Amino acid sequence: MHQNSILLLFFFLMGIALIVFTYIFFSSKKADQGMSNPLKKRFWFFLILVFILGIFASVTIPNSPYFAHAGETPAKVVHVAAAQFIFYMSEQAIDPAKPSGHPIELPANEVVEFRVTSLDVNHGFAIYDETGRLITQTQAMPGYVNRLRYKFDQPGKYHVLCLEYCGIAHQIMRTSFTVN
Amino acid sequence: MESIKIKKITSVWIITVLVLFVASIVLGILMRLNQGGALNQAPINFYSNMTIHGLTMIGIWFVAGMAGINFLMERYVKTSYKANLTAFILTVIGVVMLWVITLVGKFHVAWTFLYPMPFKIMWAKWATPAFLVAMSILSIGWLIWSISMMTQILKKYSIAQAFAWQHFTKDPSVKTPPFILISMITLVGVITCLFVAVVLMALYFAEFLSKGSFVNDALLMKNLTYFFGHTIANEMLYLGLAVLYELFAEVGGKAKWQTSWYVALAWNFTLIFILTAFFHHLYMDFVQPEGFQIIGQLASYMASLPAAAVTVFSVWVAVYRTKIKWSLTNLLFFIGVAGWVIGGFGAVIDATISNNVVLHNTLWVPAHFHSYNVMGNVLFSLAFFYWFSIQFTEKVVNERLSKLVLSLLIIGGAGFLLAFYLGGADSIPRRYSNYPAEFTSAKPLALVGAAFATVYLIPILILFVTITKRCIKVLFSSR
Amino acid sequence: MYKSFVFFALIVLLTHSSSAQSFSDAMKEEINIYQKIYDAPLQVAGKPPASFKEFYSQQPFVLALVFTRCVGICSPFLVNLKETIQLQPFEKDFKIIVVSFDPWDTADEMELLARNLGLKSDPKWIFAVTDSIDQMNRSLGFDPVWDSVRMQFDHDALLVGINGDGYITKKLIGLRERNELNQLVASIHNVFSPTYRLPNPNILFSCFNYDPISGKNKPGLGLAFLALPAVMAVGVLLIVSMSVRKRKIL
Ligand code: HEM
Ligand SMILES: [Cu+2]
Repeated sequence: MHQNSILLLFFFLMGIALIVFTYIFFSSKKADQGMSNPLKKRFWFFLILVFILGIFASVTIPNSPYFAHAGETPAKVVHVAAAQFIFYMSEQAIDPAKPSGHPIELPANEVVEFRVTSLDVNHGFAIYDETGRLITQTQAMPGYVNRLRYKFDQPGKYHVLCLEYCGIAHQIMRTSFTVN
Repeated sequence: MESIKIKKITSVWIITVLVLFVASIVLGILMRLNQGGALNQAPINFYSNMTIHGLTMIGIWFVAGMAGINFLMERYVKTSYKANLTAFILTVIGVVMLWVITLVGKFHVAWTFLYPMPFKIMWAKWATPAFLVAMSILSIGWLIWSISMMTQILKKYSIAQAFAWQHFTKDPSVKTPPFILISMITLVGVITCLFVAVVLMALYFAEFLSKGSFVNDALLMKNLTYFFGHTIANEMLYLGLAVLYELFAEVGGKAKWQTSWYVALAWNFTLIFILTAFFHHLYMDFVQPEGFQIIGQLASYMASLPAAAVTVFSVWVAVYRTKIKWSLTNLLFFIGVAGWVIGGFGAVIDATISNNVVLHNTLWVPAHFHSYNVMGNVLFSLAFFYWFSIQFTEKVVNERLSKLVLSLLIIGGAGFLLAFYLGGADSIPRRYSNYPAEFTSAKPLALVGAAFATVYLIPILILFVTITKRCIKVLFSSR
Repeated sequence: MYKSFVFFALIVLLTHSSSAQSFSDAMKEEINIYQKIYDAPLQVAGKPPASFKEFYSQQPFVLALVFTRCVGICSPFLVNLKETIQLQPFEKDFKIIVVSFDPWDTADEMELLARNLGLKSDPKWIFAVTDSIDQMNRSLGFDPVWDSVRMQFDHDALLVGINGDGYITKKLIGLRERNELNQLVASIHNVFSPTYRLPNPNILFSCFNYDPISGKNKPGLGLAFLALPAVMAVGVLLIVSMSVRKRKIL
């Protein structure tokens, strides 16, 4: 699970940092000489960090959502219009003058595309699986359409929550759809 | 005469910041309690509190950094008392307006006030124009202060010297103190993002006054908003770092740090990268071209690197097997650097686009930025406040109290932050006044966060009392 | 408490919908996107019968819907299409299929139309009729209305992009800019653009404009607003330095 590995990585890095800081702190208690000007010759340390982060970047960037399923034709397109504090989802285009939606069913194991826009302020369009885990998201911005492609491999009920603060009922702005 | 004035105004700054800090922490604890179900605020009150908590916190730690820089700057160049005072007056006006707008006017757009929300009136009608005015007042006041400070530096140092470019040569004839270098780099960044705020406010005013004939572009406004918001939140940390570079060695009884070529290089790079890192706030806006997204990821990595690597490593080396006079001041610095590093890890993880998909706008976001504020920048500034307060008053230092303060800060801060991180990894959204039932861990975590935040508040109150007492003495002394 | 939210949401929605303007046409273009086109049989003058499938399985195409007796938009529409396409070098090849939606039109009449446009011998262009007009129209979300007084169809000038798998990738209604046509052509080659803009009363200050030829967003004027503050800051730096140091900037 993505979130778990993120948390693990974070704890690992935090652990290292804590150990190093503690060790260094206590080393000052039984001190000998130390260095006169600490701002000297730390360049290699910097290079190592650049190297590590460089690898990290080149591994992760190709996994960015913008490139997901880019060459494929989606099996289904779902139009999403977010408005304070409702999501309209429809397989037909949504007319902002009289927006309406209908229950959505999507095929499993096929690429689907969400075309997400907003009719008023910025909103978020975040898809949660049945266990309440965030699996993917995009923003809903007025005047623009964001195209989010995703392949659901588990049938079931999915929830959509608003993940961009949009006002007083932001926390209850939600909808759902099924994948079978 | 002059030095009395600067002492007094610095004291006033410190007292103001501490008062507002305590008030905002209380709002923060109330938010966590509400999210935990222990309180039952109407959402409109919750979101108004959230808005003023964010705005105030950003504002006070920015001015705390500036006040610290301004005081220490007197060691190198004369600064303008008038600019300092102007900034103070405009800050007070702006902040008071913001508190009235949010708490009385119920203006609840979150501290990022994303366009077009300020125009979708869901609060007192006067609140929107008043908010735009308050933000303009703050931007202009701080702009005056920053430009004035930059002017004073440039009177003594040329541009090349202020940016320490002569350190790229073999034997630099003039040495630029690290404090001047970092202050200069930071001031340019601050001035840039305050200009962004001015442009942003101009576009808001244009739409507001045109009564509908001029409409802004949501994407541009979002870029501008985060250009301002992200940059100022980062620059204020660098203000704290400048103070650290100046005081850490001195307080420990060591020789002053000197600029070397790669310190100069690192900070010059930081200036460039920090100005493009804000793109990471728009990762989930697929409308932004991919090129910008990738620049965002690389710049976020690179922005954290030079300053962090150089500073962190320097602090390590300065402490490692070195006899140091530990005091509350440099312990706060040391712990602050640790908190900053840990928060930085959280930030780099989140600044990775493929992770951002599942972290964006979850509690992971407040988790990491509270890390390098609550356990980082705040401690830098508190270190300065404390150091300042014992400069001009009796030096009786209560060791036991210091230990208590530090342990409570660490315990309280760590628990408060951990609740955020775990929530973020559990996909719990940020900025929810109440959590939907399916997030079973959300409420318990919120209560844990509230409890630990209360623990954090105790040492803050202790410091508040001791530091304020001394600052008031400075205010009423004639020396 | 929740009741007041719903009430509130309703008010916001109501006030909102009254101010929403002309997005509707753009939304019509979204109908039936990524549906498959109905595989209607086609008759081209002097050629053996074929169907849409035989065309798209060889090459993606742009479909234009017209009728020969049209006194309105059909012929300016085709002339405009011809000119825009001829002016433009396209990297990947595709066809343009012009199909009549008028049951009275014959294959010969369509050929005559091609000759009048000077496109009869252009291999890129195909003029055809079909006997399954209704099914075709339905699969495209196209609904011309017969006006028996004017003896004309009331209809949109519709262009539809069909990719190599027979899916509708994009639609354009009316005479459009070259840019948008290019976007249509890009889409039938399955070039994915993660986003596009909706028509907006103010594009003056937008950050980016999508350029379908390169498939990239081109910087718009709005970007200048992002760069402006940095330029201003450097300007202040130089001016201050110059004024306090009497021209010794560096
Ligand atoms: C122990 C002290 C603090 C507590 C208890 C606290 C609590 C909170 C809480 C509960 C939130 C809302 C989280 C959510 O999105 O659900 C929040 C948001 C925020 N806090 Fe704090 N906080 C503290 C210190 C700070 C400090 C030192 C800063 C300094 C910069 C800060 C800046 C912010 C900002 C900018 C936000 C975002 C507001 C928004 O979403 O509009 N906080 N804080
Ligand atoms: Cu929303």
